[in-house]
Amino acid sequence: MNARAEAEMPFYFGPERALFGLFHASATSARKAVLLCPPLGQDQIRCHRLYRQLAQALVAEGIAVLRFDYYGTGDSAGDSVDVDWDRCMADTAVAANELRTRAGVDRVFAFGARLGGSMALASAAQARFGGVMAWDPVLDGQAYVAQIDAMQSALCADGQRFMVPRKPTDGAAQWLGFAISANLRQQIADLHIQRPPAPTVLIDSLSPDAPRHLNGFEVDAAMIKSLQPLTPWDDPRRLEVAVLSHPLIQAVTHYVREAA
Amino acid sequence: MQEQAFRFGRARHLVGIAGLPSSVAPEAVGVIVLNAGLVHRIGPFRLHVEMTRRLNVQGYPTLRFDLSTIGDSASSGESQTRKQQICADVTDAMRLLGEQAACKRFVLIGLCSGSQSAHMVACSEAKVAGAVFLDGYAYRTLGYRLRYYVPRLLDARRWLRVFSRRRKTHQGGSNEPAFTVAPLPQEVVRADFAGMLDRGIKLCLIYSGGISQYFNHARQFRECFGRVITHPDVSTSFLKEADHTYILTGDRNRLLDSIERWLSHNFSVSAGASS
Repeated sequence: MNARAEAEMPFYFGPERALFGLFHASATSARKAVLLCPPLGQDQIRCHRLYRQLAQALVAEGIAVLRFDYYGTGDSAGDSVDVDWDRCMADTAVAANELRTRAGVDRVFAFGARLGGSMALASAAQARFGGVMAWDPVLDGQAYVAQIDAMQSALCADGQRFMVPRKPTDGAAQWLGFAISANLRQQIADLHIQRPPAPTVLIDSLSPDAPRHLNGFEVDAAMIKSLQPLTPWDDPRRLEVAVLSHPLIQAVTHYVREAA
Repeated sequence: MQEQAFRFGRARHLVGIAGLPSSVAPEAVGVIVLNAGLVHRIGPFRLHVEMTRRLNVQGYPTLRFDLSTIGDSASSGESQTRKQQICADVTDAMRLLGEQAACKRFVLIGLCSGSQSAHMVACSEAKVAGAVFLDGYAYRTLGYRLRYYVPRLLDARRWLRVFSRRRKTHQGGSNEPAFTVAPLPQEVVRADFAGMLDRGIKLCLIYSGGISQYFNHARQFRECFGRVITHPDVSTSFLKEADHTYILTGDRNRLLDSIERWLSHNFSVSAGASS
């Protein structure tokens, strides 16, 4: 029997057992725990392996981890079109409490990439996070919506992907492979994330040319950690290529290990 | 219907989600969906989630799971070839779904490398009753080349671009691995199909326009595989407009409609739906 695999248990939890989670128990009694908040859409699939690697690295440090899927994403109940920002925030708080129960600790940190980082920041108070690590979080929803809309339009005309270019209507109400409701689109466009009360680290691996849309988010130099290599989040040619980063795993593991 | 998460397998190294209809007909086949490339069990753009849930509503028990070392599954720790691992993993998956839903026969569904895995297992596993190969094995035939090159040779604008040296340099991609299924020899695949049909396995081949670098017309099924493809237990369709991973929701729905129709035609379930 594979002891490490055995310590990673998949299960359903939350109201009506609608949320999928995978709990990574630590071999020793955990003193800290980390909730990994997934991004939305294709970024979630691209980051799946990295999240698993990160969870295993944290467990090796004696830190318990929960990975989970929001309602309407991954293996959780609900259709992609049902994804709702407020529900995702509520799911994050439910997942944080599930992690507290399973790990037997009260102190839970949060990590998230892209919209998962935004989610960790936005739900920090509700989920009572002891610290937040956000990797290239989306802070300006309007700019993000414009970017994804442009990528979606380009996708329909992509001669590498389709034998015959598709009509824009074929890609309507979708973002890069996922049906999206008008409501979620508006919720993301309206995103305005405040700096959370908990200690926060922004991990920055965007291209130096990429505009930093802070959208009023208060930042000081001490809370930003730059990461190399840069992450090609918005490269349409890599839409179906996994995002992997050992420096990211090292940075997050180091931060949680050192956190008092 | 509620889905259940399982850790299972001979080394408890596999992770999967079973969808179990509330009532399962005794003759119902279990449907097992295999990884497409390295994408974990939810499938590209959640294709496998949508697929299994639709089939659950029709009364089919399903399992989407990660093969050894893919997604959330670990290595079994055995010293095996990849082919042996895949066959053993699918055997474990059939055992789990058999225990949960009392089904004795199974249909395997796979896209791209998942199709290759399904093919591998269907060659030797007696419990396989059917297989759906999505963008599976295919070969550039003479017909393919004619359909590919003749329009280009007759395209005046293309020649103009060539002569005026305004032809764009190829910028079509990174150096990342492309969508590919390392092909078995054509004659081997033909013989495999014949062997599967002799054993009573029903086959469904659905290919997309996203593999136009080696497949570009419905006629190519016959060109690739010969008379075996006209066997009454073989169904083929070419979804020319779709891309390889069904990124558009409309294409995805059409694919799922095709699979559902094929299943209900070949493996109908008399029990009512779940939900």
